[in-house]
Amino acid sequence: MSTATRARQATAAPTRPPRRGAARDFRATRWGWAYSAPAVLVFLAFVIIPTGYTFYVSLWKWNALNPALSKFKGLGNYRRLWESTQPAFLSSLWHSLYFTGAMVLGGTALSLALALLLQRGGALLNGTRLAIFLPHATPVIATSMIWTWIFNGKFGLADWILHSLHLPTSQWLQSSSSAMPAVIVYSLWHEVGFTTVVFLGGLATLSHELSEAARVDGCSAWQEFWHITWHQLKPVTVFVVAITAITSLQAFTQFYQLANGGPAYATTTLSYLVYQEAFVFSDTGYGAALAVVLFAVTVFFTLVRRRTAAGESHALV
Amino acid sequence: MRKRISAAAGLAALALTATACAGGGTSTPKTAPAAGSGSGSDAKSGGGTELAVPTGPVTITFEEAMTIGTLKPSMDKLVADFQAKYPNITVKLQGDPDYATMYTKEKAEVQAGNAPTLGQAYESWASYFQSAGKLTPISELAGTDTPPQLATFYKGIQDDTKLPDGKTWMWPFNKSVLILFYNADLLAKDGQSVPKTWDDYAGVMKAVSKDGVTGSTIDPGSATAAAFGTQWFEILAKGNGATLYDKDGAPHLNDPNVVKALQYLKDLKDAGALATGKNYPGETALGAQKGMFDISSAAGYGFENKTVGGKFKLGITALPAGQAGAVNELTGTNIVVFSSATAEQKAAAWAFLKFITSPEEQAQWASTSGYLPVTSQAMTQPAMRDFVAKNPYETAAVSELDTAFALPGFNWIFKCQGYEATAIQEALENGKQPADALSTAQSACAAAKAQG
Repeated sequence: MSTATRARQATAAPTRPPRRGAARDFRATRWGWAYSAPAVLVFLAFVIIPTGYTFYVSLWKWNALNPALSKFKGLGNYRRLWESTQPAFLSSLWHSLYFTGAMVLGGTALSLALALLLQRGGALLNGTRLAIFLPHATPVIATSMIWTWIFNGKFGLADWILHSLHLPTSQWLQSSSSAMPAVIVYSLWHEVGFTTVVFLGGLATLSHELSEAARVDGCSAWQEFWHITWHQLKPVTVFVVAITAITSLQAFTQFYQLANGGPAYATTTLSYLVYQEAFVFSDTGYGAALAVVLFAVTVFFTLVRRRTAAGESHALV
Repeated sequence: MRKRISAAAGLAALALTATACAGGGTSTPKTAPAAGSGSGSDAKSGGGTELAVPTGPVTITFEEAMTIGTLKPSMDKLVADFQAKYPNITVKLQGDPDYATMYTKEKAEVQAGNAPTLGQAYESWASYFQSAGKLTPISELAGTDTPPQLATFYKGIQDDTKLPDGKTWMWPFNKSVLILFYNADLLAKDGQSVPKTWDDYAGVMKAVSKDGVTGSTIDPGSATAAAFGTQWFEILAKGNGATLYDKDGAPHLNDPNVVKALQYLKDLKDAGALATGKNYPGETALGAQKGMFDISSAAGYGFENKTVGGKFKLGITALPAGQAGAVNELTGTNIVVFSSATAEQKAAAWAFLKFITSPEEQAQWASTSGYLPVTSQAMTQPAMRDFVAKNPYETAAVSELDTAFALPGFNWIFKCQGYEATAIQEALENGKQPADALSTAQSACAAAKAQG
């Protein structure tokens, strides 16, 4: 190798990009776009375009069977949101928020409590973990059908248990006041297994030294949980809250199977109302307007959560 | 920020392009020409030519929900008989588990440009398909809007084949009326007799509701689907002399006689003689000897009998009468022919429709499925005579097919029945006054009518 060559290499060396920078740049190359293209196309075809199309349809009295017969209504479908009474849009929104709130608060508290109880391990506790997780692995439609019978006012297991314990029985799904709580009971049964496993995963990564130090310093069990354990679990809690909120806002199957949105619209949530208007009544334009509003509500909560989670673990959500 | 705006504009343009692609290709279908030379002998009016039975191989598809219990073998027999008579025609059944699924599939198939040749349809569904230009009128098949077979059907059945435009768009299929099933042993033990009027019925219901037995349990329906409880309410209202809907669909849900019907149900519920549930709760309660009566379709006989399982004598009788006399409502669906079918398929479909409503096939169908024959000529067939001998209730049920009513065939009537069901739930479950509940239903139904 000549001196000149060495000199050229020495001159060129500092201009060569560092290794990490090269990896970043790769994403901007044609190969980077090529590798991303399948995923981007799928996302475009099944999410982005349908979302835009839904907004477009929401501006029409849409004839799904023959779009050529559709009539432009502008924001007319959105005005109907405020004029509708059966059911009122705001009552459906409230049912969505009621269900979501109950699932977030109840589901998070219950799964955290279960995770704390089950974190030690052992054959019995492992079996219990499995039993708690199993409902989550079952199809919602199938188990909802079973729970319809559990909630049956005449022959149901739920009332039989209450009656056996000399407690007042309930009409469950047949009463407007108890239908939503009944759906929440079912949904907690189905969903808590997943969030419990998430908390168990979080608990497995915690430092025991802090807890030991706290105990040495005389912390009570509650103080240890509140200031040490749960504090360290905050990123996991944020994830559980976010995922539960989003899935609860979109929940549909249990409302469809258990209560058909009734009685008297007591379990008609926004997502069920979208289905009812768009696919049962074939009022596609109005259903699309409802879907756009549901989309906006979900985006709103996601943004609020991202804002409030600033400083927490962004890697999780 | 500018990048975001550009991205949003691009997205909107993409969505609009996709929309143009989706919507541009659809148009009102052209009327298919009549197939073949055809005999045309049956065409009596309208100046058209009846489609002749095709001679070459043809396959027609039939979206149907006769897939459970005794209905499936009855349906299969009907098709097998047809194919034996017309070996060149294949009928491909597209079975669905229930009506709601069937309707969803029919709509999806039509939207996708892949409609079946034939499909079961309620009147309001037919109205929806027809308003989008997706149905073939019977006149295009028969050469006339009033084919001679139509006159052989019971009067209520004839009326039910027309949409509000006065034209025949449907052909009858699985039709029935409501009847009263009861625990005959328990009724006798309680010293009660079979009620003849709705006032009698209320008295008996209250008298037998004791020791864990409830007079009856009904499914009031939901916002998205009427049930037998909804239809019973409509029958009570009509029995009181109410007009639920005008011919143009104008609702009268807050009419005093309609309110009276809901008050009747509320009084029974408040007295502990009526309960509500889901999934054929009356049948379940009757079979479990927790209910005395069940108001259900005559076609439900096989299911009721199976649920009772010989535990007691199952009594069956016609519905009690109201102040305005005996009133009943048609249940079950008709058949529609979709406009996307080829000329040969339409000709084969017409042959199939005529075949299944012939007296012989109706007798076979009715005696095995439990549905009622749509023509009185079937009653003299041997199969039907045997069936009536074993099931005397059939005569009374069939006699109501002349007067049984159906709600006007508008798409939005489907919504209004949901409002009726909600009013029933509000009164029975939430303690709302019937007048208030029905006033809300009336407003909502009027709004649905205005929206079209």
